[in-house]
Amino acid sequence: MKKVGMLAMVGFFLAMQGGIALAGGTPDTGPGCGLGKELWKDFPNAKTKGAQILMATTNGSFGTQTFGISTGTLGCSDDGRWWAEQKATMFAELNADALAQEMAQGSGEHLASMATLLGVPQPQHEAFFAMAQGRYATLSSAGDLSGATMVETLNEGISADPLLAKVVLN
Amino acid sequence: MYLPGAPIGRWESRHCPPPDAVTRFLFAILVFLCSAGQSWAGSTVQDYQQDLINRATQSRLADEREWHLLLHYKANLLGSIISEEDDEGFFLSSRGKSDPQAELEATIRQFFSSDLVGRSKQPAQCAFIARYRWLKERLQFDEQRLIPQSCERFDRWRAELNPQGVSLIFPAAFLNNPASMFGHTFLRIDQHGQTEQTRLLAYTIDYAADVPAGAGLEFAFKGMFGGYKGFFSTPPYYLKVQAYRDIENRDMWEYRLNLTAAQIDRLLMHAWEMGNAYFDYFFFKENCSYHILSLLEYANPALRLRDQFHIWTIPADTVRVLVDYPGLVGGAIYRPSRSTIIKRKRTLLTADELELLQRIKEEPEFSGDPVFAAQPLSRRALILDLVSDYLRYKSESDNPDMTIYKERNRRVLTARSALSIPSEAIAIPPYTKQPDSGHRTTRMSIGGGWRNDDTFEEASFRALYHDLLDPEQGYTPDAQIEALGLTVRHYNRAEQTRIERATLLNILSLSPVDDLFRAPSWKVNVGMQTIRHRGCRLCNNGVFNGGIGGAIETAFIKREVLFAFAEAEANVSPAYHEYHRIGGGATVGIWADVTDRWKLTGSGSYLRYPLGDTSDDIRWHVGSRYTLARDWAARMEYTHRDRDDDFVFSLQAFF
Repeated sequence: MKKVGMLAMVGFFLAMQGGIALAGGTPDTGPGCGLGKELWKDFPNAKTKGAQILMATTNGSFGTQTFGISTGTLGCSDDGRWWAEQKATMFAELNADALAQEMAQGSGEHLASMATLLGVPQPQHEAFFAMAQGRYATLSSAGDLSGATMVETLNEGISADPLLAKVVLN
Repeated sequence: MYLPGAPIGRWESRHCPPPDAVTRFLFAILVFLCSAGQSWAGSTVQDYQQDLINRATQSRLADEREWHLLLHYKANLLGSIISEEDDEGFFLSSRGKSDPQAELEATIRQFFSSDLVGRSKQPAQCAFIARYRWLKERLQFDEQRLIPQSCERFDRWRAELNPQGVSLIFPAAFLNNPASMFGHTFLRIDQHGQTEQTRLLAYTIDYAADVPAGAGLEFAFKGMFGGYKGFFSTPPYYLKVQAYRDIENRDMWEYRLNLTAAQIDRLLMHAWEMGNAYFDYFFFKENCSYHILSLLEYANPALRLRDQFHIWTIPADTVRVLVDYPGLVGGAIYRPSRSTIIKRKRTLLTADELELLQRIKEEPEFSGDPVFAAQPLSRRALILDLVSDYLRYKSESDNPDMTIYKERNRRVLTARSALSIPSEAIAIPPYTKQPDSGHRTTRMSIGGGWRNDDTFEEASFRALYHDLLDPEQGYTPDAQIEALGLTVRHYNRAEQTRIERATLLNILSLSPVDDLFRAPSWKVNVGMQTIRHRGCRLCNNGVFNGGIGGAIETAFIKREVLFAFAEAEANVSPAYHEYHRIGGGATVGIWADVTDRWKLTGSGSYLRYPLGDTSDDIRWHVGSRYTLARDWAARMEYTHRDRDDDFVFSLQAFF
């Protein structure tokens, strides 16, 4: 489900860019490596507004543990291309509402950021936005507006568009 | 040990040319130098460590500002040096917290080891990379005898941040969360190739207390007195935008800082060291803004920022300090909250369009109705965008119906995407000017006036922060927090000097309601004042007052907010039978901006006290403020309560 996906991603991000060093540097190559999974397992229960605000403003458990400094990438794959893809999915999962809105509107900074993460160069953003807008209805009627599905749909859209496919794949 | 490929005979080859025509005397000296060099090269690690320590001691490096910034040393009240850092793993000497020299020596020794240190479990050269780089430069480390270790984790982290610039981000004050009442600051590391549209992807450097989920009342106490640990972290900016702009509806300001590439490097290296650190968190002084200043001081040691804050560090004050520093701040960019976006866009609609908006937000299918379809394409897009903004606002507020709003939003957006035109960028101006243009937060006033048949002079001090009659520029509109205020008054006829008024805490949050926004207004006031009651003419009166109500906004003159509260109050005073009275009542009133500088207020209350000293109170109050300069204002206030009339004129300065 959506939340599980997000947790896995954030857990992965934890071990990848920040978070907590894994004991002894034991390799754990799955998404949500090591402690990240542990730290985030209670998150769905805490997703009331009060908890969200607390986490967001005081960084109760959100920022400090998940995005801690100095803890590097031990235990996870450091393949750059693979990471770039995961970053796009994570961005989409964590900004699903904003991204869905901006896809329907055919513009906006979340959509532009998404384009950048998917490798669409600046001059082609407008074409990307139009493609995203065109695909929103299909996505919405299928009832799945999760980040992962949005990324999938946008990637399909890029491949199906001769102009975008050319600039992105090159 | 030597690096692979390093020429072992370097000393000889550099210092010992063949002695062809040189005098015997000179040759003898050279032989001596060479042998000295050889014995140096072959000396033990311990010798080189000791040599570095000796040179560091001779140069008094442990006394330098740079070392004190790195270790967060501060002189305490007694004049001795102690680090603000509280994690033992941050120090390499067991005496490091209070002994800069011992820490320096231990640090130099640890650089020779690849043992993992600190909470981040890295070799010392990497865990404390800023210390290493500085000492390496100052002591000219010989890389053959103190071998540099590769810091892959740091390199990868830095590459992921992809730094090109630094911005200071200020989410405006938010009264409905006690932790956010005075605003917040954090840094954003702007990336190479970042545009206005993609700055969401940049990472931030944030300092915050680690408060366990579900913390209750103890939160306030522990937060103020160091009961929580504060950590640095690097969440992506989009998460911060989501938290502040979307969930809490706070306007944000982004200040671009003018730092050189070298300064940005220093900042990041020290931030990396902070991954090993925590500080006990003190809400008023050693808070987010304080530690952000410490990072900036390390980036550029010429900046002396924290010296200007002694008892409290209010985020908006730190912004003013940075802006006041010549050349440091490049410019401010405004990022409106979702509610600001909705309010501004709404003013672009005609009355008919507003009706369509009201209809569609309840019934998204109406977007298929011929009445709506008859509107021009771009207007339909604008209306649907606004409906979607509103439904997202509703679905993110504390609402049991959030799934209903989400579902409606999905249907509205489906209709929106079918219009197949992109939304136009709409400029959203802020409702208040940028925070650095606001008055400073500590206030002193002197004044005089008369009360009943007496005259008086008075002096006031208020530690924090802003009341609604203060100059409103740069502050969150309709939000008042006063803390720790004291007024001393001398009555001339009564020949009495007394504490006229004291404020522990006085919060007032007005949220004007309209057809889209319906949040309650509320107020809390704890303090004391001087009253006249029954036989007692100048009597101390403790006040506990709280109320809930509503407000509306009008624009007859310029901007007015009218409000009404239902409230409960408890008073404690020797003037009362049984020393107290408890009751409730109502207040109605108005705040009116007449011009940018002139503000008026008026209010009337009726309270009835059935418990304790059975009595009632009719009060009214009028006030007028004129802003003379950013940090200067003049006020006139008239207060009436139960046969007690008080008029005061005062001049106020903020610092």
